[in-house]
Amino acid sequence: MRYLWACLVFFAAFTLNVLPIFAAGKKLHKGLTINYLIFQDTTKIKFVPLKDSLRKDSLKQISQKTVYNKLSGGVQKDTKDLSLFPAISLQQNLKGNFAGLYVQEPSGEPGTIQNMFLRGAPMPLLSKKDVYASQPLVVLDGVPLIGEHPFAFDIQQYDFNRIGPATNLLTGIDMNNIASIEVLSDPASTAVYGPRGVNGVILLKTKAPDGVSRSISFNSYIGMAQKPVVNTINGKYENEFRQRFYDIYTTNGRYSDDEAYPVYLSDSLNNVYSGKSNWTDLYYKNALVYGINLGLTGGSDRANFRFSLGNTKSSGVADDTGLDRYSAMFNINMKPVKWLLFSAMINGNRLNRDRNRTLRDRFAQINYFPDLSAPLAPNKDYYASYLNSYSKGFDDNKTNSIQGFAKLVATFGKFNISSSFNVDYNEGYRDIFYARTLLQGNSYASNYYGFNQRLMMENKASYDLKLKEVHDFHFELGQSMIWDIYKYNYAYAYKGANDYIKINLLDSKPKNDDGSDNPNYLVPTAFPRELTYRFLDKTADNLLSFYGKVNYSYNDKYFLSGILRADGSSNAQPTKRWFYSPTVSAAWNIKNELLKDEKFIDDLVLRASAGRMGRAFTFDNYAQGPQYSASVGYTGNLTVPGYNAIGVLTRPYSFGWVGYGVPWSYSDQLNIGADVAMLKNRLHVAVDFYTKAEKNQLLGIPSYAEYGYKQSIESGLDMSNTGVDLTISALVIAKSKFSWNSSLNLNHNSNKLTALPRGLNEIIIGNRFLKVGEPVDQYWLLENEGIYTANSQVPVVNGQPLKYNGTPLKAGDPKWKDQNGDNIIDERDKVLKGHSLPVLAGGFDNSFRYGSWTLNTNLYFNLGRKIINEEMANRFDFVNHEGNTDVSSVKEITFWEKRGDYSKYPLYNPWSTVIPYRTDQDLFLENGSFLKLRSVSVGYDFGNFLKRKNIKVNKIYVYGSVNNVFVITKYTGQDPELVGYDGIDTGYGQPIPRTYTLGVKMEL
Amino acid sequence: MMKKILYSFLLAVIALSGCNKALETDSTRVVGEKNMWNTVEDARAGIMGVYALTRSALSDNNGHWIYGDVRTGEFTSPKRQDLKAIISNNLNASYPVVESLSDWTRFYAIVNGANVFLENVAHVKATDKRYSDNNMTVDIAQARFLRAFAYFYMVRIWGDVPFIISSNEGVFENKPRESQAKILAWVESEILRAAADLPYIYSGGDIQQPSNYYNEDRTRWGGALATKVTAYAVLAHVAAWTADYSNVAKYAKFVEDNYGKSGGGFTSSQDLSNSNGFFYNKNFRQMFGFNSDYGHIDGSSTGHIEELTLAEPITTKAIPDIYLPKDSILKYFNWPNDERFAVDTLGQSKYDRYFTNLNGKYPIFSKIKVIQGGTTDPNFRYFTSALIFTRLEDIVLLRAEALSVLGDQEGAANELLNVLLRRTVAGSSFSFNLNDDILKMIFEERHRELMGEGQRWYDLIRYNKIRQNDAKFMNLINSGGIYWPISRKLLLQNNLLTQNPYWR
Repeated sequence: MRYLWACLVFFAAFTLNVLPIFAAGKKLHKGLTINYLIFQDTTKIKFVPLKDSLRKDSLKQISQKTVYNKLSGGVQKDTKDLSLFPAISLQQNLKGNFAGLYVQEPSGEPGTIQNMFLRGAPMPLLSKKDVYASQPLVVLDGVPLIGEHPFAFDIQQYDFNRIGPATNLLTGIDMNNIASIEVLSDPASTAVYGPRGVNGVILLKTKAPDGVSRSISFNSYIGMAQKPVVNTINGKYENEFRQRFYDIYTTNGRYSDDEAYPVYLSDSLNNVYSGKSNWTDLYYKNALVYGINLGLTGGSDRANFRFSLGNTKSSGVADDTGLDRYSAMFNINMKPVKWLLFSAMINGNRLNRDRNRTLRDRFAQINYFPDLSAPLAPNKDYYASYLNSYSKGFDDNKTNSIQGFAKLVATFGKFNISSSFNVDYNEGYRDIFYARTLLQGNSYASNYYGFNQRLMMENKASYDLKLKEVHDFHFELGQSMIWDIYKYNYAYAYKGANDYIKINLLDSKPKNDDGSDNPNYLVPTAFPRELTYRFLDKTADNLLSFYGKVNYSYNDKYFLSGILRADGSSNAQPTKRWFYSPTVSAAWNIKNELLKDEKFIDDLVLRASAGRMGRAFTFDNYAQGPQYSASVGYTGNLTVPGYNAIGVLTRPYSFGWVGYGVPWSYSDQLNIGADVAMLKNRLHVAVDFYTKAEKNQLLGIPSYAEYGYKQSIESGLDMSNTGVDLTISALVIAKSKFSWNSSLNLNHNSNKLTALPRGLNEIIIGNRFLKVGEPVDQYWLLENEGIYTANSQVPVVNGQPLKYNGTPLKAGDPKWKDQNGDNIIDERDKVLKGHSLPVLAGGFDNSFRYGSWTLNTNLYFNLGRKIINEEMANRFDFVNHEGNTDVSSVKEITFWEKRGDYSKYPLYNPWSTVIPYRTDQDLFLENGSFLKLRSVSVGYDFGNFLKRKNIKVNKIYVYGSVNNVFVITKYTGQDPELVGYDGIDTGYGQPIPRTYTLGVKMEL
Repeated sequence: MMKKILYSFLLAVIALSGCNKALETDSTRVVGEKNMWNTVEDARAGIMGVYALTRSALSDNNGHWIYGDVRTGEFTSPKRQDLKAIISNNLNASYPVVESLSDWTRFYAIVNGANVFLENVAHVKATDKRYSDNNMTVDIAQARFLRAFAYFYMVRIWGDVPFIISSNEGVFENKPRESQAKILAWVESEILRAAADLPYIYSGGDIQQPSNYYNEDRTRWGGALATKVTAYAVLAHVAAWTADYSNVAKYAKFVEDNYGKSGGGFTSSQDLSNSNGFFYNKNFRQMFGFNSDYGHIDGSSTGHIEELTLAEPITTKAIPDIYLPKDSILKYFNWPNDERFAVDTLGQSKYDRYFTNLNGKYPIFSKIKVIQGGTTDPNFRYFTSALIFTRLEDIVLLRAEALSVLGDQEGAANELLNVLLRRTVAGSSFSFNLNDDILKMIFEERHRELMGEGQRWYDLIRYNKIRQNDAKFMNLINSGGIYWPISRKLLLQNNLLTQNPYWR
């Protein structure tokens, strides 16, 4: 909070002192309001003549927009500035630019999954499934985009990555094709999107042909991502690190007679491990990034188009990762007759991703752990041989995606009918072959093909009515049907015949030559049939919606709007199929009413909206009520197909019990906001107070163990997110030669659990503790107060020493605080601490212009957020992370990198069975707040120059930028952004590199 | 043009009625209640599901062997901290495996699976004529047997456990722990009841199961399903656990008299340890076992004892999870002509079926080593051995134990010889005299014969209960320390439960 106040005071001082000086007298610079005007898009209107053309339609949209924006606090941004950042994903473009939109970037590896949360997470993030269900809806030109479905996790022992390419689907959006981005977060604006938009909506509008100009646009940049500077360590260093524990807790260098000290550390003369640690030469590299986009616009008033082609490459600095995007987009508008408009869009992308080569991800993928007693060597020569054997195989990740719509709009005077058909289809392929040298003589091949498909039919009818010049009515009826299908085919096999046959070939002859059935039809030929596993899964999710909407405005002073929806979901139980939800919103233009003559204030709108929105379930399992499934696996072998090769059906014991009568989840949202424009439109402030009460969510309550169930999935989890979005933009200096624009956006969010199913007050789920009245994103930890250096220091009550879960504590064990004083340290002594999601997050942008020069800076900050440094915990807990053939003993090449400060931690007895370096204690909880200079760019606009020379070029803007310049943080691990959704830093995040680019934006 | 609009509206209306239908789709991933228990295939999927759940419960985290073999402390674990804790009887240690092994949820899944089956199978009978009376009788008997078996397995691990024999769906209520004795009495009567209906053999022309069971032939089912003999073998174990030795003798006698009807028999030393021998896939000699047939793509790198025991030179794994130290091996295998394992005068292995690498740092317990399709490929630790709960040798030795306890030392010696002679070089002779401690010899032989089959811990308990001369172990028995602690997660879920006093 201190930071918040500091920022506010700074800003207030600035605006109060500096602004008036420049506001007075000097003439206003033209066009500067474009970017920062929140609800007035007036500049676009200017040159559009009112005649029968496509432009009229866009004009109408604009005028409606104004009304509508008075009801909602959506923040719209032009993409010109956003596209200066060499982002590969939409999330990177959005990060820090919109109040209330929080973006997680757990790895700098290009194309990996990034999470977005709009106004906080709507549910406790207990697993990746919850993260998937919390993502806001992205709408591209009216096409609601489909995401991946988390159902694939059902067959995965580890959820590090979803099977398949696991490519961030929102990397399929080229910012150069996008005209504007709008983030809708209040019910007034999101209600029309229905249950799919319950987590908020991000509206992307593509650059549409305007019907006037024929133009060619060319946008390109090239740059370099700079490799990080790191400190490396070798076996000798690690050995010395461990010996300190042996010195304290052993007498002869062995903790027990049968202990096996790792060979790779014990031999200090071994050059493989104890020699030069120069693996970084092969791991970190400066990497190329570039983007090129060519757009063509043409046509006439009645028929016009825009076509664009692009290629973007984003290479990671670590482990030869990268993403290549090839994109093509086509928009067309046609007006065959006066009253009918046909428009269509197709956006196609091909994404090729080079993934990291971490052992963990590979072993999780192949579902097999080889002998891990010898980790990768820190020496370049030996590491090279690993990379070499890796390169004998392949790991191809391809994603094709296509979005499009076809829309007919018929206008009969004030009566308007539109009908559109939207498609979003994306398919992912992952083909893997790992050569035998990589896995103790066993090869592995895997093929994945999966698709997500959304078809949508949407029909709307509207009628505008104006009475007595002051009463404006807009009536609208809409209906839509969305068919979602998710499917994948997946197979993997071990032990191919040799390293030359790299795919799992199947016998493709259904019949033998003599006409008889071939018994080996579809049996693998190069890989053993018995070691070939095949999976397929499919789920559908259909949504039928109706809504009615009435807008009313009185004399541009009062605005009222109401929406009533009915949504039917195939994932809801048959008896609770339909959900009815209302939304009302109102706005009051105080400027027009009371402050007409006030010169100081240019506009002042007060708005409020309240509404209820349904939240459809992600899984169709819930619709079935009590059910049967074929999941009878066990730890390490989840995908047991049956018994004695006969398929089985049992109650879903590991998924959990689902009963009847599960109602819809829904979200009750309230938003109160104000928009102010002051000082001749030079200062804009938008502030929104919101509260979102998420109701009737499902929660797996650990129970019914004596009936075999892991959990009972019950409805009734309620939580709320409450907070403030604030956006301030100011034209601090506006002289003809020099201007300075400054804008700040921030969000303060606090979440709270308000109810649990069954009226429970608290619940423990795994290592999480949910308590009514407390935030849900807190860690649940033991409080560490040092170390017992002697057995005598351990408190004794009634002759019983202090125990941890039944094990007496001894010298060398941590001093955990006995919160309830019962002389037992257990889960009841854990306390809720810290937040994994930031309390305050936002961005602070400044742009300066001097003549044709511009300078932009972009700061991004997170405050009030904590991180569990698990990577550090694992290094100290070496005893439990050594030599076993399971995930805990996997050591990446980055094991040989020194991250963080080892001296901060006490030297516990690492062999103790209480696991002194466990992560569920506050010893590893660190402050994860940070301030990051995300980008600095300098550009020169050749526009004036060209105008003088009479060259027919509309615009040439040349720029250079440095991105991810520095981070200020107290966090001792890697970049505090490189943390999973659960706030745990596993050390697996690849650095987000500093990137230098040079670019040009041209319009001919 | 108006016509076109009219058409498109009509189209919309049609589409809408289709839309409503689209909301009523059945899941393609799970089966709803209305689509289950209608056909004979549903009954088959249901009863096989109970078997699959039993296999999963026993295999999870290699529980069957950790409960039975590792906990005795005879094996040593060089690097797995969780196993070290179990070996030193520190079952409160907070390792994931230890915590998971003290959680009984997966055993209650067997119980619930059987309860749900028993309550619903009649519906199949009512709706599908293909489901015969006999088929249903046999299926019900198996479900009853597996449910009783699950309770028997649980009381051996936790002592008193909640006793639930109906699915109580929708009104699940928490139950307190029921006394072990009551449960065991029920188990015995329940298995007896099931045994009456179980056939000796499936698809093998048994009177009680005359046709091909679910249209599969006898080899498909041999060793995979519970037979009448299986039921009596488990009954012998139940009776032994309750020290009801006259019944042990009775039930074991039944097995000895009737195993032939199930196609069972003794196993040779060679077959016992061959990688494609007794433990490979399934066979009629697996009196009660759960196979992981290679041909059924049912193997896995976990859930088999090989994961714990095998390492170099058998598989490419540097250090085994558990091993038996050389001294212990030499102590246990003290017959000179034991074909399972014996050393010559120079201290080299004469017979090395059970142990490889005797003189290395880690002798490898390699009795069970079914790698992939019964090969010796060391590079891919993919195991397909069957999990065996009991086999003929076990029951014969159990009868020997019973006779010895009941005072018939000669009979006991004969039963012991029945096994011993099969394990020693042909022509070996044994002579016992009256002073010999036959009972001790029987338990020693059980130790050797059944090593790595999850029996040893319960043998030790029975032996000490009979002998009562090991103060430390007696203390463990008397204070309930022979049981496992109940997972703290379970105690939180069900406040009627109490922790075993030893682990408080």
